[in-house]
Amino acid sequence: MSKRPFERSVRQLRFRETRHLLLTTLPGAFWIVLFLVLPSLYLVSMAFLTNGTYGQPSLPLTFDAFRQLAGFGFLGWSPGNLYTLLRSLWQTVVATALVVVIAYPIAYYITLCRQSLRPIMLLLVVVPSWTNQVIRAFGWMNLLAPDTPLSNLAQSLGLIAPHMGLFPSSFAVTLGLIYNFLPFMVLPLYAAFEKLDTTLVEAARDLYASPLKAFWVAVFPQTLPGLLAGIVLVAVPAFGMYVVPELLGGGRSLMIGNLVASQFAGGSNWPYGAAASLLMLVATLLGIFLLRRLGRRAGGGEEVVI
Amino acid sequence: MTSPSLKRSLACLWWVLMAFLYLPLAVVVLFSFNSINSSALFESFSLRWYERLWGNEQIMASLGHSLVLAIISSVIAVVIGTLMGYGLYRYRARRLGWLIVLIYLPIVMPDIVFGISNMTFFVRLSSLTGWLSPGLGTMVLSHVTFQIPFVALIAYSRFLGLDATLFDAAKDLYASPFDRARHFIVPSIKPALVSAFFLSFTLSIDDFVISFFTAGPESSTLPIYIWGAIRKGVTPEINAIASLMIAAVAVAAVISLAFTRSKGSDASR
Repeated sequence: MSKRPFERSVRQLRFRETRHLLLTTLPGAFWIVLFLVLPSLYLVSMAFLTNGTYGQPSLPLTFDAFRQLAGFGFLGWSPGNLYTLLRSLWQTVVATALVVVIAYPIAYYITLCRQSLRPIMLLLVVVPSWTNQVIRAFGWMNLLAPDTPLSNLAQSLGLIAPHMGLFPSSFAVTLGLIYNFLPFMVLPLYAAFEKLDTTLVEAARDLYASPLKAFWVAVFPQTLPGLLAGIVLVAVPAFGMYVVPELLGGGRSLMIGNLVASQFAGGSNWPYGAAASLLMLVATLLGIFLLRRLGRRAGGGEEVVI
Repeated sequence: MTSPSLKRSLACLWWVLMAFLYLPLAVVVLFSFNSINSSALFESFSLRWYERLWGNEQIMASLGHSLVLAIISSVIAVVIGTLMGYGLYRYRARRLGWLIVLIYLPIVMPDIVFGISNMTFFVRLSSLTGWLSPGLGTMVLSHVTFQIPFVALIAYSRFLGLDATLFDAAKDLYASPFDRARHFIVPSIKPALVSAFFLSFTLSIDDFVISFFTAGPESSTLPIYIWGAIRKGVTPEINAIASLMIAAVAVAAVISLAFTRSKGSDASR
């Protein structure tokens, strides 16, 4: 009987807290829902419409866009789209792998340096990614164009034909992807290395593990959360990259992002572009899901990400 | 633990990486001072491309658009994002999974899908209602969307760094939530707010893809202008304007370094 007022005040407090939570977080949540979730749903819904005469999506509902994405066109099946998809996947895998190979030792090296130097070193890694990505790609265009020292070097090594440049090429695209996303890998890896428990390494060494073995059992598992976070942060945006393949690929090694853009920019086929976007969205959501799942399992927090 | 030879080769790798990271930018800056119109051959030092910039009305207009867009969107994002960070912090004991997913969505969403979904959405809305036709207004809306999560996460991590009992003390001291916000919350996370503003500003200036698809005919920003110029065939003014943008980033880097120095281990990145 005397529990009643207590219960009521608990409920009241709970209600006040919920109201406060909503008051603080709803504006932001509402904004994201209104200007990102709804537009994405609108875009995705378009994938199931028919391409109208004037490039405007219209009824009836069909799966035409997806069939087209799989390569079925007016003239039967052609592998062009599949090549674009495979190329996107391949570029993503290669760039991510190379980014890991570069970033892993670099992140470790930063933790070896003096405490006071580390923020500066991290900043030096991150600063290029603060410049506009169009400018970064432009810088590489200048560096890799025909008759530049790098292109001449590649020519004398017989890597490319005479009077050609290293740009435009799929090599330039890979390079551009690595350049763009390297910091995303260094930061989470650095966070993992900084927290590294070195007593484990000593224990492994005391138990006569070779350096390689000690690394494998005592270091690598500890950096795994950072590595996984980095892989998602690199691979997901690399897969959807638009600027780099457009500028550095020279229209020849396009990726799925360019496929999407070309369907909308020319107004040629919105449902088809929407179907390709849906594919990219699925990849993205899968990425978020993996990141959260792996982060929780590895005990790392969200702080690894930012 | 680490052998000296390993450390030496790591140092080598570090310097190779620095060359890799800064060479493309250095080339742009170098050729912006070129006296001839070439990005392969440097003849002699000149400032002619910089002089040509001031006379180029299109570049000046794009610069104006970029700045207006960055300032307005950052102010809105800092207000909304900080509120959100505060809510996330106060109620972090509750299950807020849906909110976390929502916050990560704009960060991980591919730019191109982000931009195109916004473009189609705004085009549709404006044809239905007559408002929100593509232009600076719609660009502000889109930019705030991708700035909010970063602000919220910065504010959140700053709140985590504060002593939790302070919040109870503030509750005893100030009755109204507005007094609490004015006298306790805002002052105690001021450095985070400043860095959140700068980050939002940089994100906005840096963005190309989302701006490109949400821009109207009269609202092209600097990156959009540069993109167009590159596609049409390079003009050396591009080197000059790109160099100025690189210089702005360098200044931002120095400011950010000064901030981390003075704040010690500030929780924000």
